[in-house]
Parts: sequence; C-alpha cells; structure tokens
Amino acid sequence: MSTPTAVASSSKLDSKCPSGPLAERWQKHKFDLKLVNPANRRKFHVLVVGTGLAGASAASSLAELGYSVSAFCIQDSPRRAHSIAAQGGINAAKNCQNDGDSVHRLFYDTIKGGDFRARESNVHRLAEVSVNIIDQCVALGVPFAREYGGLLANRSFGGAQVSRTFYARGQTGQQLLLGAYSGLMRQVGEGKVNLYARHEMLDLVVIDGIARGIVCRNLITGEIKSYAGDAVLLCTGGYGNVFYLSTNAKACNVTAAWRAHKRGAVFANPCYTQIHPTCIPVSGSHQSKLTLMSESLRNDGRVWVPKVGDETRTPDQVPDEARDYYLERKYPSFGNLSPRDISSRAAKQVCDEGRGVGGSKMSVYLDFRDAIVRDGVDAIRARYGNLFQMYERITGEDPYRVPMRIYPAVHYTMGGVWVDYNLESTVPGLFVLGEANFSDHGANRLGASALMQGLADGYFVIPYTIASHLAGRKFGKVTAEHPEFRRVEQEVRERIERLRNAGGKRSPDSFHRELGLLMWDKCGMARNAGGLRQAIDCVRELREQYWQDVKIPGDAANLNNALEHAGRVADFFELAELMCMDALDRNESCGGHFREEFQTPDGEAKRDDANYCYAGAWEVDASSSSLAWKLLKEPLVFENVKLAERSYK
Amino acid sequence: MSSSHDTHAAHDAATSHGAHAEKKSMRLMLHVWRQRDPSAEGKFVTYKLDDVSPDMSFLEMLDVLNERLIAGGDEAIAFDHDCREGICGACSLTINGQPHGFESETTTCQIHMRRFEDGQTIYIEPFRANAFPVVKDLVVDRGAFDRIIAAGGFITARAGSAPDANALPVPQVAADAAMDAAACIGCGACVAACKNASAMLFVSAKVSHLALLPQGQAERNSRVLAMVEQMDKEGFGNCTNESECEAACPKGISVSNIARLNREYLRALASSD
Amino acid sequence: MSVTGLLLIGFLVVHLAGNLQLFSDDTGEHFNAYAEKLKSFGPLLYVAEFGLIALFVAHLALGLRVTFENRAARSQRYALDRDRGARSFASSTMVVTGVIVLVFVIVHLLDFRLREMAPDGLAAMVVRRLSEPAGALIYIVGVGALGIHLSHAFRSAMQTLGLNNTRYDVPIARAGKALAIVLGVGFAIFPLVYFSGAKGSTHSASVRAAEPGATEDVYFLGKGGASLRGFEFRGVGAIEPSHLDDVGDPRSIGREEQR
Repeated sequence: MSTPTAVASSSKLDSKCPSGPLAERWQKHKFDLKLVNPANRRKFHVLVVGTGLAGASAASSLAELGYSVSAFCIQDSPRRAHSIAAQGGINAAKNCQNDGDSVHRLFYDTIKGGDFRARESNVHRLAEVSVNIIDQCVALGVPFAREYGGLLANRSFGGAQVSRTFYARGQTGQQLLLGAYSGLMRQVGEGKVNLYARHEMLDLVVIDGIARGIVCRNLITGEIKSYAGDAVLLCTGGYGNVFYLSTNAKACNVTAAWRAHKRGAVFANPCYTQIHPTCIPVSGSHQSKLTLMSESLRNDGRVWVPKVGDETRTPDQVPDEARDYYLERKYPSFGNLSPRDISSRAAKQVCDEGRGVGGSKMSVYLDFRDAIVRDGVDAIRARYGNLFQMYERITGEDPYRVPMRIYPAVHYTMGGVWVDYNLESTVPGLFVLGEANFSDHGANRLGASALMQGLADGYFVIPYTIASHLAGRKFGKVTAEHPEFRRVEQEVRERIERLRNAGGKRSPDSFHRELGLLMWDKCGMARNAGGLRQAIDCVRELREQYWQDVKIPGDAANLNNALEHAGRVADFFELAELMCMDALDRNESCGGHFREEFQTPDGEAKRDDANYCYAGAWEVDASSSSLAWKLLKEPLVFENVKLAERSYK
Repeated sequence: MSSSHDTHAAHDAATSHGAHAEKKSMRLMLHVWRQRDPSAEGKFVTYKLDDVSPDMSFLEMLDVLNERLIAGGDEAIAFDHDCREGICGACSLTINGQPHGFESETTTCQIHMRRFEDGQTIYIEPFRANAFPVVKDLVVDRGAFDRIIAAGGFITARAGSAPDANALPVPQVAADAAMDAAACIGCGACVAACKNASAMLFVSAKVSHLALLPQGQAERNSRVLAMVEQMDKEGFGNCTNESECEAACPKGISVSNIARLNREYLRALASSD
Repeated sequence: MSVTGLLLIGFLVVHLAGNLQLFSDDTGEHFNAYAEKLKSFGPLLYVAEFGLIALFVAHLALGLRVTFENRAARSQRYALDRDRGARSFASSTMVVTGVIVLVFVIVHLLDFRLREMAPDGLAAMVVRRLSEPAGALIYIVGVGALGIHLSHAFRSAMQTLGLNNTRYDVPIARAGKALAIVLGVGFAIFPLVYFSGAKGSTHSASVRAAEPGATEDVYFLGKGGASLRGFEFRGVGAIEPSHLDDVGDPRSIGREEQR
C-alpha cells in the first residue's frame, strides 16, 4: 500500500502526449505518427474484442483502411452490445445552437466535470473529434432529432450550460450502435472482417513482450481456441457489474480487461465509479439488475423523505411540514437538479439516517404532486408519460397517484486499463478503447459523453494511432501454433476445470450477489478507510471460498451460462480487491470517489491536488506469490485550465 | 390474460406474513422446453415453482428457478438475455404461445410476474423458425438477421469522408418516420409470431429506415434487392399480411413498412441500374 | 399471388355484372343474349377462358408454393400457439377457403360450362340448378367462402404490391371488406332468390321448369325477388359493368387504384 507522497512519475507510464499548444497537439501528433503503406495493411491482422460503439467503429474503420480484422463479441450479435442502452444523447462541440459552445468549452467542461483527474491532451482531442462523430453518424443513417427545417436539433443535458447534445428520442445509444453495427456488418459482408459472435476472450497472449493474440471460448461449443494477430484492441466496456446490481447489462464484465491486466497491462483508477441518482429501487432479493430512469424527471419531481424515520403514514398523508425536501434544503440554487454524484450521496445519507422509504427503506420519493397541481396531469403525461408507464410496469405503482421511489445505482466506471495518448496499454500492441480504458473522463463522466468517447476512439483515434505499433515496431509473424498460445490455452482450460471441479454447493450468482452487496456497502457511493480495509479482507476471504465452494452443473463443451458467469465472477473478485485498494490509496474525495474522511465542513467532496493529482495505475506484482499490486503514478499536468472546486450551493 | 390458467392453487397457502403482507408470493407450474443442443431431441420439462414474488420480472423468475436447479445439481435453463431493460433485443421466449408474452409492446425482460396469476401454468418455448435454429433450451441462433444486414442493411460511409451533418437537411417528418422504423431491436419476435416464420417486418424496418433518409438514396435499389435475396436464402417464410408480427413487436414497428419494402423492391426491380 | 388475385377479382366483378342480367328482365332473355354474345366471340372466348384458367391455375400454384414454403419455414411447431389478435378469421383460413373455392369452381364449370346447353337456354339452367336444395347449398357455401377469402385478399394484395401505407391502410382495408361483401353477397343472392322462390307455392314449377320454357322460371324469380326483404332487383334495369359503383360500396376507393 502506498502512502501519499509528492507525485513522481513512473517510467513505465509514458503518456506520449504531444507537447505544444493544446489545440494543435492532435494535428501535430497525427503528422508525427508513422503510416502503414496501403498495400501492407492487409498483411496486418487486428483482433477487436467487443463490438459496442468503440469496437464496432474501430473494427469497421480499420477494415475500411484495408487491415485484416477479426471481431469478437460475447453476445449472439454485435448489435446487442450494451452501448445500445444509452438513452440521453451524445455531446459534440458543433455549436449548432449559436449559444457559445466550442471545442475548448467542451474540453473545459469535460475536464472540470471529471474533477481535474483526466489528461488535458486526451480530453481536448475528444472534444475536437466530437464534431466529426456527428457527421459520420448522420452519414451512416442515424436518425437524429431534427428541427422543422431539417437541421439537427440539440438539447441541454446533464446540467451543461450550452445545448450540445444530439439525440435520437430516448434511444440515442441504440441508434448510434446500430449505425456502427451496420458499418461493421458491411465489412463482414465484404469479407474484410471475420465476425465471431458468442465468443468470449479468456486470455491475452503476449510473446516477446508484445500482445500477439487472444484465447477465446466458443460459448456454443465450449471450444477453446487461439487467434493470433498483430494488434489486439480491447473494447469491452466497464466493470460496473462488480457491484452485481448496476444499470449495466447482465453480460457486462471485466474479464477481457482483467486477463490483459494479469498479463501486464496496468489498470488505472479502478475506484472511480459513477452512481446515477434516478434508478428504480431494488424490490427484493431476486433483483437482477437496476433500471435507469431519465434524469429529466428531476425537472418537475421533488425529492423528499419524511423528517422522521418512523413515519407510518402513506406518502400522500404526510403533510409538507413533516417532509424533508433535502436537496432543496441543502442546495438551494440547484435543488432537485443537483449533479449526479451530489444527489446520489444525499439520498444515501438520508437512507443511512433511517429515513428512507419503501419496504426496504432504501429509496427516496420523487414526487410529482406539486407539478400535477401546477401544470395539470395532462401536461405531466405529455412530458413523462412513457417514463411513468415504464415505472408502473416495473413497480406496479402509479406515479400519478403515489410518489415515485428512486435510489442511486452504479451506472458507469471511469477507471479502466491505463492507456497512453495512442490508446495503447503498457503491453505493446494491446490497445484499449471506450469505457474499458481510463483515459478521458477523469473521476466523473459528464452525461452524454460516453457515446462520444466510444466513437471518438473507434472512428477517429485508433485508425491513426494503431500505426504507431504496426509501423513503428519491428516484430515477426506468429501463428496460433506458437507454443505460447498452446501454453495459455492450457491455462485457460485448467482454470475452467478448476472452477468446474470445485465441487461446492453455491452458484456463481450467489457469490456474485454477496460480493456486490459488500462492494456497494464499503466501496460504493461513500467510502472510508476502515470500511475499505475490512472490505479487502472480506473480498479475499470470499474469493478463497469461491474457488472451493462454487458449483457449476453442466459440461464445458456446450452452452453453459453458469460456467461463463463463474469465470467472470472470479475476475470480479480480484478486481474488487484492487478497487478497494485504490479507494484506500486515494486519500481525497473527487468525482465518483467520495471518502468520508475527506469532505468539507458542509459535507462536500474535498480534493487534494497537492498529493493526488495523478492517475493511480496498478501493476500486478509478478514477484509476489499471491495476488499483489504495485502502484504506479502518472502525474496529471494542467497547463490550460485552473484547478477549481466544484460547488453547486 | 384469458384461458391459460388451468390450476388455481389456494391463495392462502402462499400468503406471506409481516410488513409486506400485501405482496403475496405466487406458485407457478412451468412447462419449459429443454433441448441439450441443436441436434438433440427437445422436450418439455415441468417445474413447480413457489415463492415467486409478484415484483419479479419474468427473467428474474427464471433466475430463481435456475438457482434452485443449480442447487439441486441440475443444469440451469439456458435463455438469452442481456440488458433487461427492453432495448438490446437479446431476450426472446415464447410464453404461453406468444413471443415475449401477452403484453403489447413489451419484451420478455420487462414483463413482471404480477401480471400472472397465482397457480398459473406457463408454457415457455423458444422462438420457433427454421431460420432460427435452437442452440440450447430456449436459446436460438438469430444470426440470419446479421447476415441480412451484412447483405445490404447499411449506408456506405467511410469514416473521415462524411460531409457536414447539416449539409443535407432531413425533414423532421422523414427523420421521425425513419426513427419509427429504426427502433427495431432485432429480437426476432416478428418471425416467431408469424405463422409463416417470415422476416418481412425486420427487413422492412431496416429498408424503410434507410430509404426514408436522404443519406440512404444512393444504395436504395441495391440495398433492398440484396437484403431480400439474403432473407430468402435464410429460409424464412413468406408474408401473408396477417399483421401478427406488428402485434407481437415489442417496439410497435408498423406493417406499413412491409408495404414500403414491397414498393421499394418492385421499384428496384423495375429500375435499370 | 397478389397480381393474379387482383386480376381474378376483376373477373369476378365482370362475372357478377353479367349475372345481374338475370334480374334485368322477366324472361331471362337478356342473360341468354349476354351468354350468346360471349359465345359469338368464338375463338376469342377460348383465349379469354384459357387466360382465366391460366390465372386461376397460377394463383393456385403460387398459393401452394407459398403454403408449402411457409410450412417448411417452421418444421417444429409450437406446442401452444396463440395469436395476438391481428389475424382475422379470413386471413387464417385462406387455404381452407381457397380449397373450397377451387372445388366450387369445378362444380360450377361442370354445371354450366362443361355441360350441354339446355334447349331452354342458360338462364333456365341456372334457375333450375339454384332452385335445388343441393345446388343452392353448394353455391351459397362456394360464394360464401369466396367472400371470406376476398375479405383478406384485397388488402393483402395491396400490401404485397406496396400500394398501402399508413394513410391509406384503413380505407384500403375497408374497401377490401366492402368488395368482399359486394361480391360475396352479390353472388349469393342468386341461390338465395331462386331457392327461396322454389320453396314457395310453385315448387312443382321448378320441376316443371325442367321441361318447358323459361317464362315460368322468371315468374317465380319475380316472386322470389319480391319476397326477399329489401331486395328489389326488377327495377335495376340493365346493368352494365360501368354501373357497378352504384351497386357497390361507395367507400371502395381502392378499387379505382386496382384497375
């Protein structure tokens, strides 16, 4: 465990950020990058793991450039990647609204929103290429909302002061993914991308220090097979499912990134997790996932809990003087529209005080009573009809009569595999794109920026930067017959057999739930050193138990959901420990990481820029006999923005 | 829900106690299709499941069943699912003879058990169509849809070559109509619900989406011909215009898209290029 | 199927118009004259008939192909199969009604086309046949099945030919139903009228009618026509195809497109 010291850069973490004026860095870097001769591109085989926004856009762009590409996804079709579930929209600094937006403003908002824990160069590049993303998506047929005159419509999102969010109803992620997917399928149809659906990457193969391929399990036949290539792209999303309950899809997992981490890729800022305040609360122990509801509900709904914990009246019978509209009370200027992390923590606080509502007392009211009185039920129905319907479908309660109940849920993970400016990890030849990397959102992600980052990485960054590896390094050809592939395959098989032969009594799911509860409790919305230390011990203990007591019926040579899940849970156990260590190391509060010991007198997050202005990157300590890590630090340098405190009072 | 409940177990036996007494747990009789692999013979296996909370989603009810199966050393029932919020299109299941169950414009993952009755018998089958072969239990292979998209369900637009997004205005009406069609989640319920196992609604949704946008005009003819050709190759049935697909579609995709597909197809056949 | 189907509908419209000649006078002369007129086309009639048979066979063959392909698209049926209420009785029985119509058409041709012409003319043959209980039943069932078949067919054809859209869907569906009613009821009126007339005071007349002239037939035609509530056809006069819209449903907008 490292203690806070003045931040010294680890030599292993060369960000390769270009120097010079911020706005010129990407142009300059692109020029400095080597190029791969068009005739040679087909000789390079690129393996793309994951087919969400980042993966599908990367695979299709690289195939268009002439590279030979293989794409892998665990779903039955690339179109089902979890990018599809994003609702709100995608940011781009196109300034269509003439309201003062610019690349620099999007850059600044993203840096500030990330609580000054992201790299300036990366974020600026993201803001720059955001403009091209919209163009590209429209060209692919994404039906963005339009004004009457046929030009693009925008909305303001996530508290931004400019309207820069492009959207396709409440299904922006779906439309963007289907656009990227159609581009990918075009390449598949032309034979330029080999598509492997229902294939799960279970390990990375590193030969002579360079990533040379992956080992996959065919989820239908159970076959373990190696795929050799000249570069590996991980586009495998975030790890929010370590909490078991999250808004992530059930199949979202950390396995691909984690196996790469175990093979040498450094993992950065795992403790940065984003909690979304307006989710439908847990209804019982059977709960399998959480459903997000649009934050727009907070425009008209008022958040409250009873003033006393033992309130027995039904909500409509509780008079105003017995209600605590705690967001309006604590944050008079932003009130119910306070930012995600602040609203989430406030909800947790009142529930911890025993004032939560609902059967489990783990939710707060979001009440439309006053809005209905003010605007009429028809106006509210016009604004939120579909959301109310969804809520009623899930909870069986009618929000027109009974206040909605909401509670925060894990939504996104800012941490991920450490990458340099080229999106390359510390394992040469291994690139990491989208939510799977740590690069652009710092400690907190702004609304409508996840889609932007995934597509930026895939369409407009990796097509250039991959050449730094393919043309910049000398390495020979290897095939999947190489002994190292055989060795890793064997390890993968042994691991599967170990899980299957544990001969225990409990399902992988039951362990996963237990781990999730523990993490949510100790490493969730608020953390403290004591709880984190305790969590580390518990996680280790539970992990030990897992390998002895897990039970997986069925065989390995067939579709076996329990077996797939078991492997992922095993990796979540290891990640969980690292998340707690990272949270424990970071003796400050910033963005999605709130340490109870580090708050202002009125309960706000307190950053420590003097000691913690770095990306905490963890390397597996190969010298240790048990699982252990070394912390490497990449200092964050801010030359273009002034570090400021976020305040929403 | 009409006539599918054939047993009415005594409610009082399932009553829970304490603070949440209003939420009775339910008992169900499940007939689930089990099939080891594509070549194996499948059959229905009957499971009695009690302590089902009305607040569970349908898939959570299956999770509970699977947990009990695993605890008893049996293999869990395989079924496709992912986002569990009705957008990824992974979940399928034919519930009491209806793809995605009886609720309109709802995917299986969004159905909750409170919509069923205590003591109800529920048949759970995979989506059935020769073009969607069963992989295992309730899991089917919908790769045919991907191949249809690969054949032509796209606009060719190389990254980096796109013109400014506002260079080509899209009338709001066209954008809205395109979005209506583009809302398809590719779940395959249209095929499963069609008595002919036809994929016309799926294909027509994509053809419509792209034909309605100015960006889609360049490949308008070749797209529809290629997609229809691939659809035919995959072994789907023919459309006899009964609109069961529309009624079963969790996203309410309209059969007017099928008329458009036919129109586009005839137009493409008639065109000289 | 849609094209052959729509062309066959076109034939049915003309056929019904021709049949209505039966009601245009009291003697059946108009109808017989109409039949003679058709005959006078000589080889052209055979060409037309051949075309009609070809259409019918093509419709049948395409229907069979579609049916077999559709069956083959789902070899493993559902154990429990419940539709979502979008299918109509008509749409789900297209094969059944199609087969009934096929059988009926064969009977119909045996009755009036492939049999030697009676000396008292075609009109008399028709009246005799439709006055028999078995004949009336066969014809009512046949044209009933045809009406049901058509009630799905028209909109279906418009859908398949891409002539439908959200705006026209309801009018087209209504036009299809109206067309089915006009054709189904229109054809059914003949057996109803003749048979109900035969049941009247002059049942023996129908037996007698086998020998003498057509006049007596027309006599009870008149009575039968009058006895049917609200159906007064004697005043319609000579009906030609161009007057169909007066008889048909004015809402049948789609028919204009179909032509």
